[in-house]
Amino acid sequence: MKTDAVRGHLDGLLLAVLEPGPLHGYAIITAVKSRSSGALELRTGTIYPALNRLERLGLLRSSWQTTGERRRRCYELTDAGRTSLDGERAAWREFTAVIGAVLDPAGPHGSPA
Amino acid sequence: MRGVRTQVKQPADPVERHLAALADALHGPARAKRRMLDDMRHGLQDTAAAHAESGVPYPAAALWAVREFGSVRELAPVCQQELTIAQARHTARAVALTAPLLVVCWLLLRTAAGSGPILPPVLHILAAVGTATVLLAAGVLAATGALARRLPALVRLPQAVAWGGTAASTAMAVTAPALATCAALAAEWPLLCAGVLAAASHATVAPAARACRRCVRLTHLQPTRVTSPPAR
Repeated sequence: MKTDAVRGHLDGLLLAVLEPGPLHGYAIITAVKSRSSGALELRTGTIYPALNRLERLGLLRSSWQTTGERRRRCYELTDAGRTSLDGERAAWREFTAVIGAVLDPAGPHGSPA
Repeated sequence: MRGVRTQVKQPADPVERHLAALADALHGPARAKRRMLDDMRHGLQDTAAAHAESGVPYPAAALWAVREFGSVRELAPVCQQELTIAQARHTARAVALTAPLLVVCWLLLRTAAGSGPILPPVLHILAAVGTATVLLAAGVLAATGALARRLPALVRLPQAVAWGGTAASTAMAVTAPALATCAALAAEWPLLCAGVLAAASHATVAPAARACRRCVRLTHLQPTRVTSPPAR
């Protein structure tokens, strides 16, 4: 899946991979790749300004943590971030249901004729 | 005689070379920029280390990490957008910091209001500039912080801060010598103090407003362009 298709959903993806617990930048990238089985192509450098923005908006908070011998800035969801993630999920379900009903009327979202 | 050419030494490590090129392309508050680049450095180092662990020799692993990361042309616009907002907030804080100075300045002028015909207009200009800039600063800090989640994206806000800060610092730059002249003519010390406070306000806001104008210009010069990473 190309970067252009991913770009609009980057905030939601980052919030989702941080839901289980705090992660540092590289771990966030590997979590996105692993959850998408490598299907999402992403310029990895773009996640850092996005993390910065989400922290400024109060959806994430960051702190320094030591992993192995390395000190890394780790990001975690705030309460506002969890609420925002719930909103992103609801909006995504609604969007896929509506588009699915149009593209594939015989599918699970399609209305009976 | 042959001219002396200054050559900036490029770091040998591809990761550091890439970060140095990115640092050259970005402008914003030093702390915010350093923090963003440090985060990126750690990400690049971790990616290169992961490639090296899978058996790729380090130089090739680092080059591969840099390629996955994105080129300066691709990353600079998205990074600059965030740094421009950081600079707008920094400028707004500088403007807010001058609010107490302007209030004291205004009070000093009120006590000396009978000292000359130039003072009443200066008093009004100062009150208007002070009120407008403080309201702008408070609005910007709120609209780019947690409140931004509930607001539409205010793309022109950094531009408004840059030019609002410039207008405020220009007003202070005009007010300060006017007050100094009045103080000399009327031999009134409150006027001199007010002039010094106006000059201090100008010195606080002017560099931050200049930096904000530069960031806004860069944001408009760099259109966002992100492509997919190369296939391995």
